[in-house]
Amino acid sequence: MPVYNFKSMGVVPTAKDLVDIVLSKTQRQTPTVVHNGWAIQRIRQFYMRKVKHTQTTWHEKLSTILEDFPKVDDIHPFYSDLLNVLYDKDHYKLALGQLNAARGMIDKVSQDYVRLLKYGDSLYRCKALKRAALGRMCTIMKRQGPSLAYLEQVRQHMGRLPSIDPNTRSLLVCGYPNVGKSSFMNKVTRADVEVQPYAFTTKSLFVGHTDYKYLRWQVIDTPGILDRPLEERNTIEMQSITALAHLRAAVLYVMDISEQCGYTIKQQAALFQSIKPLFANKPVLIVANKTDVVALADLSAEDRALLDGVAAEAAKVSAGGFEGDKPGSNLIAMSTLTEEGVSVVKQIACDRLLASRVEIKLKSKRINEVGNRIHVAMPRIRDGTARPPIIPASVLAKKGLPPAAPRPTERDLQEAQGGAGVYNADLRKQYDLKDEAWRYDIMPEIADGHNVLDFVDPDIDARLEALEREEAAAAAEFEALDTGLADDHLSQAEWEDLHRIRERKKRIVADNRRKRAAADNTPRIPRTLDAPRSRTAERMKAELGALGLDA
Amino acid sequence: MPQGDHIELHRKRYGRQLDHEERTRKKEARSVKKRAAYAQKAIGLKGKMFAKQRYQEKAVMKKTIAMHEEKDKNRRVKDADEGSAMPAYLLERDQVDRAKVLSNTIKQKRKEKAGKWEVPLPKVRPVAEEEMFKVLRTGKRKKKEWKRMVTKVTFVPPGFTRKPPKYERFIRPTGLRMNKAHVTHPELKATFQLAIIGIKKNPNGQAYTSLGVITRGTIIEVNVSELGLVTPGGKVVWGKYAQVTNNPENDGCINAVLLV
Repeated sequence: MPVYNFKSMGVVPTAKDLVDIVLSKTQRQTPTVVHNGWAIQRIRQFYMRKVKHTQTTWHEKLSTILEDFPKVDDIHPFYSDLLNVLYDKDHYKLALGQLNAARGMIDKVSQDYVRLLKYGDSLYRCKALKRAALGRMCTIMKRQGPSLAYLEQVRQHMGRLPSIDPNTRSLLVCGYPNVGKSSFMNKVTRADVEVQPYAFTTKSLFVGHTDYKYLRWQVIDTPGILDRPLEERNTIEMQSITALAHLRAAVLYVMDISEQCGYTIKQQAALFQSIKPLFANKPVLIVANKTDVVALADLSAEDRALLDGVAAEAAKVSAGGFEGDKPGSNLIAMSTLTEEGVSVVKQIACDRLLASRVEIKLKSKRINEVGNRIHVAMPRIRDGTARPPIIPASVLAKKGLPPAAPRPTERDLQEAQGGAGVYNADLRKQYDLKDEAWRYDIMPEIADGHNVLDFVDPDIDARLEALEREEAAAAAEFEALDTGLADDHLSQAEWEDLHRIRERKKRIVADNRRKRAAADNTPRIPRTLDAPRSRTAERMKAELGALGLDA
Repeated sequence: MPQGDHIELHRKRYGRQLDHEERTRKKEARSVKKRAAYAQKAIGLKGKMFAKQRYQEKAVMKKTIAMHEEKDKNRRVKDADEGSAMPAYLLERDQVDRAKVLSNTIKQKRKEKAGKWEVPLPKVRPVAEEEMFKVLRTGKRKKKEWKRMVTKVTFVPPGFTRKPPKYERFIRPTGLRMNKAHVTHPELKATFQLAIIGIKKNPNGQAYTSLGVITRGTIIEVNVSELGLVTPGGKVVWGKYAQVTNNPENDGCINAVLLV
């Protein structure tokens, strides 16, 4: 799986529990009542359903288990090798294979018994066949007890493995036991690795993370390795070997030059020679630890020669970085107790690893995809005018001056005047105003029940003027109109006529409004039947009156 | 300790709760009462299963207690061999063997004369014809009733060719045909899955023997070559008789006991 999340594997129950789970599930999810008097087809169907349901449940449960466990052949070789070292690949594959075989066998049993159930002619016979089928399936699973127990143990251990990403930048720390690998790890990362005076304190891989150049780096601490042939190595050492073999990381070979770990420098150099083949294509750094006890300069000549020999070998074997420029650049002194040299080691290792990774990426074919997309455009020269960069005169003038005293920052001001909670920053001093007198004016916010800001407009003066001009123009226009509607031209008779007309109009409008305003319950003659609206109450009154009726 | 063992690491660094021992002791003491309460309260299938489990536990506990109490019992040790004047380890061995062999040969001769063979199931329940055969109606109007379908498990020899379907009277469905049996060796107490060679005798009648019907009590011949038995003369035994001990149509398999 691409993301190594071994924690998300489901629990593998024991054989007994698994049998209980499946059988009780069948009991709950299939009908339970059957009668002797039913049609034989119905009885058969009842029992066939139970057999098939049990088979599907078994199939599902086993399939989830088989899919949860990682396939040793499909994962990163580091993890497959680690699983092999910890759990024995053969045993692991066998256990999973047996579960797979059991799953197939259960399917076959179900098929056979469903076929037999078709010939069941009595309830007893069908029931006996169903009992035989379920019993057979459960016996197959009871035999898988040891496999299930083993897989549960593997799952529990796997879930607690440190989450090492094999593809990211990593630093691998290796060396004899007790040289100070875990102390280095504790100093550089936040991993709380146990540090004790006895050998093999660290019994498995530990991972910690650190930052450098805005990138995340993995630091992997390994258990100590002894100088033995590969066949004789125990599980703990094999984990280190696996990490060295499969992770493309920068290797920090830590040596204890004070020999407090119990191994001489000669032995440590010999170990380096024997695990040299694992360092191919990796940047290697020789780190001399415990310099607070014995400084690098205080070493005897032969020990120093040994160290230099190891550093030279490392330079030859390793790849990437800046080897070859200085003969001693591979060897760095550090002391995890006093913490001197620790950050230097980290820096050099990270730089080396980065350089080697960049080199590899450049050499690979994929760089062309990215390289082709990056294009720095340089404008072509099209005419004779020179277009130099523009630098303001004040900057040019300033360039000659010595650097000014740092002016007090806002933060300094804040601290001086009481701190974060007490000081209220004066934002008004940065206002850009036409008149300095306005700087600390009190601004009204609410006027006549309205927000002043809703009405404030930078162009408000101009707009006001424009509006006034418009208004004046409209008024003048109106004045200039010679419509003849002015009242002083009329004579008395005309005035009275005008007055009467106006009154009548008002009355008509009022009537109409009244009619409209009243509730519209009155039946009205639609316009299609009486367009000129000639049928009025008065007409009716008149006509009926003419007939002689009192309307 | 591995990096992922956070709980153990915390325990190692900070130890457990101050009253941890007391709490565990009291919890264990209380668990007895809880179990008893559950045993009384649980009903249905869960209750039955729990009761069964508890009964087994109690039986084992009783046995262990009885075993422990044995040491307090005083018992008189009797000499096993009261018959002869001499102790058993001084007796001649030959005498004992020869006497046994003689009596065995006499018994075998008597059985051969009687024509009776010692089988694990001397008597079986007789199977009626209505139970054995199902009547099939055939013909244009489904009125003819001369065809029969066998409802029990049958064995059909491998080279068998059937009669033309129109004329075959007894139909042996392929779903009920089996050719392997689970044979138990009575002395070794081991079970093997062996191929059936043929049917020797069906106690319900000669007709069923010829048809190849296998019911409880049928004597079948099985291929024992994988057991590697050899006659005293040096010849390899590859076929032996076995008697069927279950009802194959109810269990879906043939279980038999080897006749040695």
